[in-house]
Amino acid sequence: MNLFLQQLVIGLSIGSVYALLAVGYALITSIFNFTNFGYGAVMMCGAFAAYFAVVKLGFPTLIGLVFAIIFAVFISLITELVAYRPLRKRKSPRLYLMITAMGFNIFLLNLAVVLLGANVRYLPSTFSTDSIHMGSIVVSALDVYSLFASLISLAVLWVFLYLSKQGLAIRSAAHDTDTAGLMGINVNKVSLIVFAISGITAGIAGTFMGMKYTVYPNLGDIANKAFIASVIGGMGSLPGAVLGGFILGVIETMVSGYISSALRDLFSFGIMILVLIFLPNGIVGKKVQDKL
Amino acid sequence: MSVLLDVNSLEVYYGGIHALHGVSLRIHEGEIVSIIGANGAGKSTLLRTIAGDKEAKSGTISFQGERLPNASHAVVSRGISLVPEGRRIFSNLTVKENLKVGAYSRKDGKDSIAEDFEEVLELFPRLRERIHQMSGTLSGGEQQMLAVGRALMARPRLLLLDEPSLGLAPIIIDELFEKIQQLNRLRNQAILIVEQNAFLALEVSKRVYVLKTGQIVREGLACDLADDPSIQQEYLGLA
Repeated sequence: MNLFLQQLVIGLSIGSVYALLAVGYALITSIFNFTNFGYGAVMMCGAFAAYFAVVKLGFPTLIGLVFAIIFAVFISLITELVAYRPLRKRKSPRLYLMITAMGFNIFLLNLAVVLLGANVRYLPSTFSTDSIHMGSIVVSALDVYSLFASLISLAVLWVFLYLSKQGLAIRSAAHDTDTAGLMGINVNKVSLIVFAISGITAGIAGTFMGMKYTVYPNLGDIANKAFIASVIGGMGSLPGAVLGGFILGVIETMVSGYISSALRDLFSFGIMILVLIFLPNGIVGKKVQDKL
Repeated sequence: MSVLLDVNSLEVYYGGIHALHGVSLRIHEGEIVSIIGANGAGKSTLLRTIAGDKEAKSGTISFQGERLPNASHAVVSRGISLVPEGRRIFSNLTVKENLKVGAYSRKDGKDSIAEDFEEVLELFPRLRERIHQMSGTLSGGEQQMLAVGRALMARPRLLLLDEPSLGLAPIIIDELFEKIQQLNRLRNQAILIVEQNAFLALEVSKRVYVLKTGQIVREGLACDLADDPSIQQEYLGLA
């Protein structure tokens, strides 16, 4: 029972980071109908910015987090302005956008290898790193911090999307970008907000993943898990992304704890395949239907 | 009466097709004008070009004496709102949120937006009953009312309606067109309607343009065209 509870807390912690990243995917998918496979690289850039701030400049972790967010937002906006927007302007098929995103990911990853080297770097945390005892279970403080940071970010994002004017604009553009334009919504402005939000989530996730797994150019591969989470939840659905993130995080840690951590990824991808076979739209994804 | 909208020799391509050939038309303040024509005549393309959703190859569109910008979101703030074909309401949003989106471009403050919100709900009382419902759960007629209400929330000088009767039951169509005329009477609202149902169009509008394969082939007062034997034969199905 103790093992179960302990794995559950760790699973929720990892799941919350997946959820945060999956929301970053889902926001862009819902509006522009393509998966931003450049997202992992954006997260990696955020992690390196945090590393630079904490290790090279000696700032505390919180300032490192701010560095990560700012740099990830910057990179995210650059991808939108340089890579995606010109393609949308030419009304390119969304497959081209997806391929461009992958190319961007490969480019940034290799640029990081060339400029910074492929070796792993330890990103220390100036937060208390003691283990936290909750009754009979022991979890690392870092897991608890990342759980809270993710939950707070998700709550702030929810408030923004559901209670602000720009949030309403984003939700209407997510449903129908052409009609949103007819309502006076500038879709290019919405895109900047959305890519900035996805940069923020990538910066937060990058910092916590960097502290958990160290910082290295391939760190962005974790974002693939978030992509799986968003497929499980339902592509383009924000509640689905959050749900999928938590489900995947908990299942992964349970598999690592009870079966074998070597089989973890097998289960992650296996679940995705099962979901695609039995629930092609994901758990809460919108159904594809003809519109009059 | 001063000219509100002035469209001059508009040439528009849709994909590879030459959809509009030198279309010119004018709408004055407070007028209801209709464009009738068969399927594929270019009616929707014309409306979408005016609304800034499609680009014209050549020709000019001026509104209140100024050239219109070439982006739909910028056209709205100049005072033109389009109710698109097939309604296109945001079914993921509530009725209230749909109406709020309609007022997105307005800069004249919360109070006047709230005023218009009340006015729209007075015009379409059914929307008030369903105000917190997800708009996807509305009936077709209610969705059309919502689409019109949403466009009115921008407080347009000119309202564009693209096939408002499409897919609606006759009794609902009557109600809708009643409201459209009411809008025109009470607010002096200028309205441009594109309609396949020529009976309806001739009934509610003051002037009518006939669009055929991308060209304006006739124009005139609705009452004159309704009596014209060739129009009766081709568009009203009367022998």
